Amino acid sequence: MLTKRTIPIRATAVLGVVSIAVLGLSACGSSKKASSGSSPTTSSSGTGPTYTIAYEGPLSGGDAQLGLNMKYAVELAVNQANSGTSQFGKLPFTLKFTAADDQGSGTISPSVATSLVDNSGVVAVVGPAFSGATKAAEPTFSAANLATVTPSATNPALATEGWGNFFRVVADDNAQGPADADYMADTLHLTSVYVVNDASAYAVGLAGAFTPEARAKGMKVTSQQVPGTTQCSEGTGSVTEYPAAASVVKTSGAQAVFYAGYYCGFADFAKALRSAGFTGQLFSDDGSLDPHYVSGAGTSVAAGTLISCPCQDLTTNPAAASFVSQFKTLAGFAIGTYSGEAYDATNTIISVMKSIAAASGASSITRAAVVAGLKTVTYTGLTKTIKFESNGDIAGTAEYVYKVEPSGTITEVGPA
Amino acid sequence: MCFTTNFWNLFIGGLANGFIYALIALGYTLVYGVLRLINFAHSEVFMSGAFGGLFVLQNVIGSKQPSGLASVGLVVLGLAAGAVSGAAVAFLLERVAYRPLRRRNAPRLAFLISAIGASYFLYNLAGKEFGRQPISIPNAFTNGTVFTVFGAPVQTYYVIVAVVTLVLLVLIDRVVALTRLGRGIRAVAQDADTASLMGVNIDRVISQTFVIGGLLGGAAGFLYAIPTGVAYTMGFTPGIKAFTAAVLGGIGNIRGAMIGGLVLGVAENLPVSCIQTSWRDVVAFGILVLVLMFRPTGILGEKLGRAA
Repeated sequence: MLTKRTIPIRATAVLGVVSIAVLGLSACGSSKKASSGSSPTTSSSGTGPTYTIAYEGPLSGGDAQLGLNMKYAVELAVNQANSGTSQFGKLPFTLKFTAADDQGSGTISPSVATSLVDNSGVVAVVGPAFSGATKAAEPTFSAANLATVTPSATNPALATEGWGNFFRVVADDNAQGPADADYMADTLHLTSVYVVNDASAYAVGLAGAFTPEARAKGMKVTSQQVPGTTQCSEGTGSVTEYPAAASVVKTSGAQAVFYAGYYCGFADFAKALRSAGFTGQLFSDDGSLDPHYVSGAGTSVAAGTLISCPCQDLTTNPAAASFVSQFKTLAGFAIGTYSGEAYDATNTIISVMKSIAAASGASSITRAAVVAGLKTVTYTGLTKTIKFESNGDIAGTAEYVYKVEPSGTITEVGPA
Repeated sequence: MCFTTNFWNLFIGGLANGFIYALIALGYTLVYGVLRLINFAHSEVFMSGAFGGLFVLQNVIGSKQPSGLASVGLVVLGLAAGAVSGAAVAFLLERVAYRPLRRRNAPRLAFLISAIGASYFLYNLAGKEFGRQPISIPNAFTNGTVFTVFGAPVQTYYVIVAVVTLVLLVLIDRVVALTRLGRGIRAVAQDADTASLMGVNIDRVISQTFVIGGLLGGAAGFLYAIPTGVAYTMGFTPGIKAFTAAVLGGIGNIRGAMIGGLVLGVAENLPVSCIQTSWRDVVAFGILVLVLMFRPTGILGEKLGRAA
């Protein structure tokens, strides 16, 4: 099928430009003019009425790669569903795919949201990809009761706004800290931990979410704020602070260090810890999930480090092998961060549409019905079982733990 | 007592930092002595030294794990490479960023702006050429505990830093005190115009002063980078700390820079067991302010000529 190109919309676009874009999109998506509800159209080819699943995320600009990782996953899921050979079998409706570029920006996303809402064929949106863009666009989607399922916007506040159409298939930032604490207490059976944060907003929040849960699990928690260094362009600290902080950690007798921060500073701190004679477990978060952590710290220091992430590595998952290879054929590059989540989000929407069609016919699929269906859906995807809480957050923590192997490669060891 | 639990650990680590600060601080203090100028691009001289040592060791060591005499040789080689790179950059810096201004009798602020510009240029150039990720220096020696002081382990790395720095500090102190070159530096520092009338070639002395500062700063850059790796942004904080050390000891005073470096290194490290590490610099600079309130010219006073 032809991939529709979104007409570029600038934040300052005048109404005329917006309406041209809207016309362009709705002309592609449906033979009717824009109307408030979703209205199925009978497609000349394929079976039953045609509905559109849209993707919104950055497709240009500095963060485009992250957006493309997701866009092709959504497109692939739609193509597979139409082929009739997917897990859903032969569907009584035909799906169309459209991609909308918000450049990950909160100033552009509202106009993109307006154009998607005005495209009457669109019954659900995968996205928006970024938290800032989601925050700005969601009031528009919410007013139209158009379901949005984001694969990647993890800001905790998004689930507190009362948008009934908001869903996300990844755990938010607040879920990660407690999940890490639970993993340390329940799986690693540790009784004491030294929490170090690099003074960044993300790390302070993560350490703040980790500490109460660790205490609740009976762990002894001591903490230090060791600011990120100018050497790593992560803060105002200097690397000379690490040996001092490391000897304090060593003397504390803690069994493990939980480092909230990013890979560059973590590498320096890990080296200092080992050099100070600390032999306990090193544990960090997705900010450290990068091969540069291993190259910076050295394989001998990094080996055995555990790193948590709300993202799952599908390249080693046998069940995902066909997704991984088909994605590469479609996109021309290998799956990346949040590709699997975007694929699962799309399939969750398709499974909801399928059950609506089975219950009351293919022509009864409306935006409102999809939103209602998502609230109760349980769908087993590649990355996790998807079930939403009432605020739209994914049920369960859905964190994954990765380990640095003695060879220096980082592999997933399982859910946190 | 939080202060006593880690005292010796932190003291030893602080001393090692202090030695490195002292080496860098000498570059600031020597240049200030002859030019009355704070060479803010000195942090990039330091960074260049680290890159120099890195590239030479990368080529020499490869993937081997040296030990024994080979380790000693490699550390000396890295230091030499760092020192030469630092000296080369310092020499060029003086020629390009300062000498043209001096020829035109530019006001002092112009030098300062030229220094900041040169600093930005150099570190961005390094970032562009050598990459934005820190690069680890290949291990020239196996780090381990050599001996302990009151239960606190003293590692090979700390011993190397202490030995190298003490040798260099004594050397520079003697060079300035006893040699013809040192006499020239002291003469220019005391009174440039009179020195010039007495036949001292001021341009040459200034150039030589930058080279000496560059040698020390470059060697310090290599020492500093051994545990943490080399990055284009690495010069900024040690540069500020060393400048602070120079002021603390008495700017323009060679022995002052050494003492200032050691005092600052230890003073900023000791409180870490009682406070959050993020407050470390607050304590360090608080001490600086206190010292300067009671001794505005620093611990040993200002004069380069007299003190050395």
